Amino acid sequence: MDYVPHSQIPGHKVKQTGAVSLKGIKKQFNFKDRELKVLSEFSLDVQPGEFVSIVGPSGCGKSTLLRLIAGLDDTYDGTITLDGQRVAGTSLERGLVFQDHRLFPWMTLEDNIALALTNRQISKDAKAKLVADHIALVGLKGFEKAFPHQLSGGMAQRAAIARSLVNEPKVLLLDEPFGALDALTRVHLQGELQRIWLAQGSTMIMITHDVEEALYLGDRVVVMQANPGRITHTVDVNLPHPRDRASPVLHRLKDEILAELTNVPEAPNSVVRLIKGDDQ
Amino acid sequence: MKPDLKLILSVSSPLLLLIVWQAVTAFKLFPPEVLVSPTAVVAAFGEVIATGELQRHLSESLTRLAGGFTTGASLGLLFGLALALSKTVEQVFGPTFQALRQIPVLAFIPMLILLLGIDEVFKIVIIAKAAFFPVALAAYDSVKGVPKSYFEVSSLYRAPWWVLISKILIPATIPNILAGVRLSLTRSWLVLVAAELIVADSGLGQMMEMGRQMFRLDIVMVGVIVAGVIGFGLDRLFQLLQAHALRWKTA
Repeated sequence: MDYVPHSQIPGHKVKQTGAVSLKGIKKQFNFKDRELKVLSEFSLDVQPGEFVSIVGPSGCGKSTLLRLIAGLDDTYDGTITLDGQRVAGTSLERGLVFQDHRLFPWMTLEDNIALALTNRQISKDAKAKLVADHIALVGLKGFEKAFPHQLSGGMAQRAAIARSLVNEPKVLLLDEPFGALDALTRVHLQGELQRIWLAQGSTMIMITHDVEEALYLGDRVVVMQANPGRITHTVDVNLPHPRDRASPVLHRLKDEILAELTNVPEAPNSVVRLIKGDDQ
Repeated sequence: MKPDLKLILSVSSPLLLLIVWQAVTAFKLFPPEVLVSPTAVVAAFGEVIATGELQRHLSESLTRLAGGFTTGASLGLLFGLALALSKTVEQVFGPTFQALRQIPVLAFIPMLILLLGIDEVFKIVIIAKAAFFPVALAAYDSVKGVPKSYFEVSSLYRAPWWVLISKILIPATIPNILAGVRLSLTRSWLVLVAAELIVADSGLGQMMEMGRQMFRLDIVMVGVIVAGVIGFGLDRLFQLLQAHALRWKTA
């Protein structure tokens, strides 16, 4: 299958900024006297405005990867650049949405979103407008004065997305953003995220456990394996947005990726023997 | 529950206590020199108010409480914050702090009397000591307990340090700190009355001590009741303040 650049996909707003490049990323954690390799020689190039989904088993270093790009962790080898500039520390150009919404419980929804603007040198009115626009973007108009505990899980996560977008970052990183939500809300928010991405046009890198979600949203799906975390496969999804969940192409790709994720070559011998035993 | 019923239930136990008390004295189960009747206490109440004695002692006590509590609580807050925020301060003062707070305030009284005499300074110091530890401990624990995720969010949006402190750290720690301050207010009041019983020339505790020496147990009972009511009132007042500070929780 040939790769169709996202800029040729109908309905997509073209952006010139937001190219993320990871080269030879190595990251390890030290547990007492043991070294645990989390990422090994990880390289990935993301085009401006592209939506890249990353799937992989738990512990393959997916979340660590996003934290490195976000700048929450600076201890790694290799280079990460955004539009050719090496990233150092956190920046308003790189947004991050966590699995938990991480809204502050004592602030109203609009105060939570406005917190993201405290480092911006713009007028009060401009800030208020940005906040209002982004509340509208995620469909939470009318809930400006609500506290997080008054919102449903899905609404709180939308508010978190609004907060991460209010600075109009060049790249938005999403760490299993819908992982804690029920299936129905998840499907709904996937559609919402697609709409927001098409409207905003920023680069998005999303981590997920859900292969269907990865394929439904991603221009490209990166499959990772653990120990150490590395890319084993990349799948281009050449379908226009917004997509049809029932598309046979998505189903075929899903089977392909699931087969790869579940058929771990270095499976312990005992597991293999158990399966054999069942056959007899 | 209906508010009326709630009120009836909450006054039922003090009322029952009063009835039992009246009954015990009416049947003369104890000699009147040992247990005075509620009516005698009411009469004594009128007496100490009429002579202005109660007002004088009470205002002395409350002034001491204000001075000692404010000093102790603010020092405790600053110390607790420093202990939580600085590794050096924690290493140097942490163990001493943890050991000292295990010693009852009253155990310091004999030593403090020798050092400071029985003047005002002594009483302020003893109340400040009582107020210091609960606040310091609450401040230390609550700052230590601020989730790492709050700092990460603040860092992601590059929030300036004053925003981190005013909008994130203070609101995150205020519930626990207020609980500590409330505890220290109650403790200060208890310690103050106890200290005045032992050494003072004025104050509610001293009024009770003088009553005891003159076998005026009715006046002692007045002191007991006033101490209880003031303590209860201070605690309730603080509870209201706490509820006001945490109104987002119930909004």
